[in-house]
Amino acid sequence: MANPIIEVKNYSYKYDGSDVIVLKDLSFTINEGDFVGIVGCNKAGKSTLCKSLVGILPFVAGGSWSGEIIVDGKSLNETRGSGVTDVIGIVFQDAESQFTQQTVEDEIAFAMCNFGYSRELMIERVKFAAEACGLSSMYDRSPYHLSGGQQQRLAVASILALQPRVIILDESTSQLDPIGRDEVFRLVRELHRQGKTIIMVDHNIEMLAEYADKILVLHEGELVAYDESHKVFTNKELLNRHSVRVPQVTDAALGLKETYTGNSGTPITLKEAEEYFAGLKGRGDQHE
Amino acid sequence: MSETVIRTENLVHVYPRGEVKALKGVNLEIKKDDVVSIIGQNGSGKTTLVRHFNGLLKPTSGKVYLFDEDTEGQSVAEMSRRCGYVFQNPNHQIFTTKVIEELEVGPRNFNFTAAEMKESIERVVELMDLKDILEQHPMTLDYTTKKIVTIASVLAFKPEVLILDEPTGGLDEVGRQMLTRIINMMHDEGHTVIMISHDMDYVAENSSRVIVMCQGEVLDDNVPEKIFLNSEVLEKAQVEPPQITQLDLFLSAGKNEETILSVEKFINKYNAKRGGNN
Repeated sequence: MANPIIEVKNYSYKYDGSDVIVLKDLSFTINEGDFVGIVGCNKAGKSTLCKSLVGILPFVAGGSWSGEIIVDGKSLNETRGSGVTDVIGIVFQDAESQFTQQTVEDEIAFAMCNFGYSRELMIERVKFAAEACGLSSMYDRSPYHLSGGQQQRLAVASILALQPRVIILDESTSQLDPIGRDEVFRLVRELHRQGKTIIMVDHNIEMLAEYADKILVLHEGELVAYDESHKVFTNKELLNRHSVRVPQVTDAALGLKETYTGNSGTPITLKEAEEYFAGLKGRGDQHE
Repeated sequence: MSETVIRTENLVHVYPRGEVKALKGVNLEIKKDDVVSIIGQNGSGKTTLVRHFNGLLKPTSGKVYLFDEDTEGQSVAEMSRRCGYVFQNPNHQIFTTKVIEELEVGPRNFNFTAAEMKESIERVVELMDLKDILEQHPMTLDYTTKKIVTIASVLAFKPEVLILDEPTGGLDEVGRQMLTRIINMMHDEGHTVIMISHDMDYVAENSSRVIVMCQGEVLDDNVPEKIFLNSEVLEKAQVEPPQITQLDLFLSAGKNEETILSVEKFINKYNAKRGGNN
């Protein structure tokens, strides 16, 4: 039985001093253990949604809202966001801007210090988080002297130390080179395998198609789709209407639909495409 | 034969207190009608290389020629007037408190007349759809819009060469399409575009030439259709071809002379095959 960890009910949000309703009557549920990719173009409300899920909006940074968000059974309207960090951790696009400490070790421990963890527990958790994120050999390094991929992994480690059940990554890979990007995706996949719920905002459609189970599409504050990755990423008409691409291999399969029928369903990953297009392999004289 | 805009001769760069050569004797010629992408992993020397083109860095040894003039002794102002450079991180570039002021910085510093400045700014505002945000503080904008503003602020002083460091990072589909329009416009107006990018889908579809760098050296320099066939070089530079290229390479099992770089070409190729044999 699926256990809802985040329930969003008729949630709308507007920033102070603006007339624009940034999120419009959103309702959806994320179950524990899901890997949800959030896509949408600029101004879709993706970051606003992420900040709302952890209560930064509206309870810390203000704004007006209606509806409610329930995290692990507790309505944020009642808790005013307090305690949500026990359940959800969030990593932002520019990891560097969230660092405050001189060493990797202190950076991982920083949030725990603020929450008043005991020294013994902090040491244990720093070790756990550093190992999980491949940072064990870098305790004394300055966060500012790490590569982009290492910085993002450090940002993940510093929230992982709090042992949240849900991790939100808001465009964490968009500034990284392919090596750094793969490091982050691999880490996230491993955390997902260990049972964490992952919510990932990313423009890299091909990577999300490979990693996420479900895709949520936002457009100008409205939820336009929320379904299994396969169903969403093969719906080219819907995605294009909202300025989101489908994966290249999906686009190719849909484009050749009239003349080529693959052995399997429409592919959304390279591996699936290799199977789907196997009939065209090595020669151009294949017939259906 | 297209005019040479940038030429390097045995360009070497060592950072102060650095022990390794960030550039190890690079010899390159960039032509006027090139839309050239420089690819390679972090630390391969891409940014170090292009920062010599506008004078932000000076060669440790070797030469850089801009429009056939030796750049030794030229100021950053002189060079950057001709080679406009858009930083990877817009937060490193923005320093005024209004978008309109940000757009005016270049033209004002480069002594545009009031009329020239007005004309130039109106053009980029129109081109990049900025009219609604001119009075806003740039730092309050979302990342994509900030990035668009930094590109606009460079275009505003009409450089002959446009250098874009990771232009697609953080851009959504609409932003990417706008970027493509700008690159095409620069090219059509006879200007040169140089971009550094990790975004292979974008590089494949939007470059006339690709330079692969690794550890301060140029590993390969060719048209994208050939670059993405060279698996040995790509592996060494730790670069992965676009997904559609990988699929084409898999299906053609190494028999290609040129590879497919876009979905459209993939569909044409495999459609044509079927049509030709039916």
